[in-house]
Amino acid sequence: MTAVSNALWRAFGALVVALMLTPLALVVLFSFTDNALTNFPIERFSTRWFRTLFERAEFWKAFGNSLTIAGSVAVISSVVGTLAALALARLGERLANAALVTLCFPVMLPALVIGIALLVFFNKTGVPFSLATVILGHLVITQPFVILIVYARMVGFDYAAVDSARDLGASPWVAFWTVTFPMVSTTVIGAALIAMAISLDDFIITFFTIGGGNTLPTYIWGKVRTYLDPSINAIGTILLALTIASTVLALRLSRYRG
Amino acid sequence: MLAPAAAVFAVLFVAPFAFLFVVSFWRVKTFKLRPDFTFDNYADTFTKYLEPLVFTMAIGFAIATLTTALAFAFAYVIRFKAGRHGNALLVVTLVTLFGGYLVKIYAWKTILGTEGILNSALLALGLVREPLTIFIYNPGAVVVTLTHFLLPLAVLPIYGSLRGVRDITLEAARDLGARPARVFLDVVLPQCLPGVTAAFAFCFLIAAGDYVTPRYVGGPYTSMIGNFIEGQFSLKFDWPSGAAMAFTMLGACLACVAVSRALLGLARPR
Repeated sequence: MTAVSNALWRAFGALVVALMLTPLALVVLFSFTDNALTNFPIERFSTRWFRTLFERAEFWKAFGNSLTIAGSVAVISSVVGTLAALALARLGERLANAALVTLCFPVMLPALVIGIALLVFFNKTGVPFSLATVILGHLVITQPFVILIVYARMVGFDYAAVDSARDLGASPWVAFWTVTFPMVSTTVIGAALIAMAISLDDFIITFFTIGGGNTLPTYIWGKVRTYLDPSINAIGTILLALTIASTVLALRLSRYRG
Repeated sequence: MLAPAAAVFAVLFVAPFAFLFVVSFWRVKTFKLRPDFTFDNYADTFTKYLEPLVFTMAIGFAIATLTTALAFAFAYVIRFKAGRHGNALLVVTLVTLFGGYLVKIYAWKTILGTEGILNSALLALGLVREPLTIFIYNPGAVVVTLTHFLLPLAVLPIYGSLRGVRDITLEAARDLGARPARVFLDVVLPQCLPGVTAAFAFCFLIAAGDYVTPRYVGGPYTSMIGNFIEGQFSLKFDWPSGAAMAFTMLGACLACVAVSRALLGLARPR
């Protein structure tokens, strides 16, 4: 009885994993075929759709924009978020939790609402729409994750080493760079990579704050709306490779598990 | 040191949000915003968009319930049944958490479409003679796509709370003669209720506020309130109406989540 029920539970677990991964695996699979339509039978494997894509200047433009935005978001949000997490770790637990819940509020809201709020705000304050406004918009949703990840690392942090450094005459600045930062640096890099993945993947906030031009997700959006061009599979594969690679690396570095 | 993060939060989140709320009481004349204090936009939302609003809440509730149930069972497997494979299952869950929103929606469009992967597989296997049109452009396709997208997001908080259930407590309950169902209802469930509630609320808000999924796989008769809100900004340039619709949607979501939570509290045994 227990053996049967355990086997059923495991089968369920395997089924859910398959459900989570299959749609993404299909996108990757079809990106490497010659098919003009995304369906079976697969006639021939080829890199035709990647080559088509790489010949288009608009793809490279979108790719460059995506990297510029995601890189800036990763750097800015990891600095801002780490500073906040270090400050919160020094507060009492109740105060820190209240601050965390407040700062994480934007993540609970539909991106559509954040997108339209920023659109109206930038428009009325006269800030011209550009890649910079997209970067500012992404900070709102990436900063909470950086704070959460770095804060989780700081909870078990041993301040004895930092205190010793201070006692031995190190300035707070020197103590931070020689003691605290080396101990948390992998976590901070992990958090920056998560911020990068979120930024790379974001479509909705980008759509409302970019003004003109494309990132990879808005480029996909434009294509899906008009016609199911199989090169979308190739862009999707590239986007997945970038976001999954940074997430996997981040998980290894930060040892963060939710 | 909190100042930069607080500045980002205040300037890029609180201020735009507060301003959007103010704008929801304004009116628009010849494509220009006119400051005002009118409830017309809210009244319009309830008269013109009541049907999509109710539909959005219903489908949001269905998606959140389905996703939370699946996520709970999956988190339960990771915590109690998968043994040493638990960590691998967790990593799979986390891997696509931060990426693939648009790719997932597009993937379901290519899977469920009339000339899609599912139909071509069914035809090749000889199970059907004509491609089936029932898979896509209906509310069901939206439920499937959003459940798939939200599942990893729901697993995490539930798993986090299940991790807090200590083995020693479970053993104590068993040693004292509690049957598995009793252990589950009296020990496991109460401890993970906060995680379950958080997952449900999160899924509900994200699902109800989505507009890309219904646009791609929902077809012309499955418009959610998000589609109309987006339209006010990208097509009609009636920002006050769009703002009022957005706040009405958020209010309705919070009300639905509160009611669901109360029902869950009532349904709790004992």
